[in-house]
Amino acid sequence: MTDLTTLSIADAGRLMARGEITSSALTDAFLKRIEAVDHKIASFITVTADVARAAARQADMEMKGGVRRGPMHGIPFALKDIYETAGIRTTGHSHLKSDYVPVIDAETVRRLKDAGGVLLGKVGTHEFANGAMTPDQPFPAVLNPWNTKHQPGGSSSGSGAAVAAALCMGAMGSDTGGSIRNPAGYCGTAGIKPTYGLVSRCGIFPLAFSLDTAGPLAWTVEDCALMLDVLAGHDPNDQGSAKTAKVDYGAACHRPIKGMRIALARSWYEGKDSVTADMKKGIDEAVRVLKDLGAEVEDVVFPDIWDYHICGRVIITTEAHAIHRQDVIATPEKFGYTTRRRFQLGAFISAEQYLSTLRFRRQLTLDTRACMRGYDLVMTANHWGAPETFEEPQPIFHFLGKPSLTMPFNVTGQPAATVCCGFGSDGFPLSFQLAGHAFDEASVFAAGAAYERATSFRSKRPSL
Amino acid sequence: MSSSKAPPTLEEFRVRAAQTGLTLTPEDIEHLHKGYVGLLALMERIPSRWAWAAEPPHVFRADE
Repeated sequence: MTDLTTLSIADAGRLMARGEITSSALTDAFLKRIEAVDHKIASFITVTADVARAAARQADMEMKGGVRRGPMHGIPFALKDIYETAGIRTTGHSHLKSDYVPVIDAETVRRLKDAGGVLLGKVGTHEFANGAMTPDQPFPAVLNPWNTKHQPGGSSSGSGAAVAAALCMGAMGSDTGGSIRNPAGYCGTAGIKPTYGLVSRCGIFPLAFSLDTAGPLAWTVEDCALMLDVLAGHDPNDQGSAKTAKVDYGAACHRPIKGMRIALARSWYEGKDSVTADMKKGIDEAVRVLKDLGAEVEDVVFPDIWDYHICGRVIITTEAHAIHRQDVIATPEKFGYTTRRRFQLGAFISAEQYLSTLRFRRQLTLDTRACMRGYDLVMTANHWGAPETFEEPQPIFHFLGKPSLTMPFNVTGQPAATVCCGFGSDGFPLSFQLAGHAFDEASVFAAGAAYERATSFRSKRPSL
Repeated sequence: MSSSKAPPTLEEFRVRAAQTGLTLTPEDIEHLHKGYVGLLALMERIPSRWAWAAEPPHVFRADE
């Protein structure tokens, strides 16, 4: 009997459509594994076993009657605990919201449920998708399933760890400066930050309005595409939501990539700051695989990585302060010690500094677009090397060290996916990013899925 | 922001912190001072001189 918890969403969907497995069996397998294993990595804050079993029974009944709602029908998934869920507490991993029970679902949650998805529970996050995981918060820190002495990356920490540990088939994250792609990279999953405006943020705790995006993490690129098929689409209740044509992302995963042109932003990860030797080797090998598949990969020099990094960081610092100002004034002691200071810092940024940064953002977006002229995708490293360990105290202002390799595509709003490209000598996953033009997630999925089919890295899971 | 102005000293920063309306401990102020000075140094990359009509986007749209 196949281990149901390591099936892909695509395979599970096919097996359910043929009546070879049921959503109830799948859901029970995940609930059992969560019970047996999750205490080792603390990825779940709330497990919604009864809700999940009821949704699975409903899906089985519908599929038995010939109703097929789409790729997420009967599929068990988890939510970063900043997604509002009707009747289920939504904590933001914070004392401030530890008893908060919303009355309606976030728009993305509504779409996943309408598509027949089975909610297994809510998973841990950096506090309000920003602060580090520190002992002064109400829930334990999520651990990396590849080595529990290390962090899983954040802020969608529970989403990355739970997917990698086969505790759910897919999980929702959010990405303001890299919060989907960091845990995806450190935990060895796939993940996509969609184009700004493609997926509704309505009902998700905000961090920085003009950068926030919502998107999926899953074991494979194709599974992320299938989740995005359900999630994408205009929402009039989200001010940043775009009206775009419907695209079949699942089908895009099977497009040939012969002739696709990829700009390699090598200067971002092999300059003054450099990725580890293992990471460099993994990316070089990935370039070779993509070339063998027919893509043309050429080095292109983009604006300096530090420009994107500081641009995004000033915007996040300012907007996050505006969002959380009342709480950091009234109840500063309820925040973790890193979160509080990160939210307070924005009080010192002037309006002129913020507006200059927004102007800079437009300039960087136009410059990036110019560099991408004639190319379908940008390829670059996803992260610098192994994830950090849990040393206390943690750095308050983590962004003063190395620049973020994920920030460029938050600043420009482009879609960017994380793709695992092997494992380092330390046992941690290696990964690269593929970014497309705005709203061209299809090309990102095509290249990422083709790469995964041509390599064997999806067959290795962490042992817990 | 590109400017030759020196970053604030801890004392100057403390005065400014008192005007923010935040409830800050001495330890908070020390951390925030380090963070702000670090941020300012990185912000040297952001031009401060723009054409007066260079309007920033009101709501960022990737499809503009």
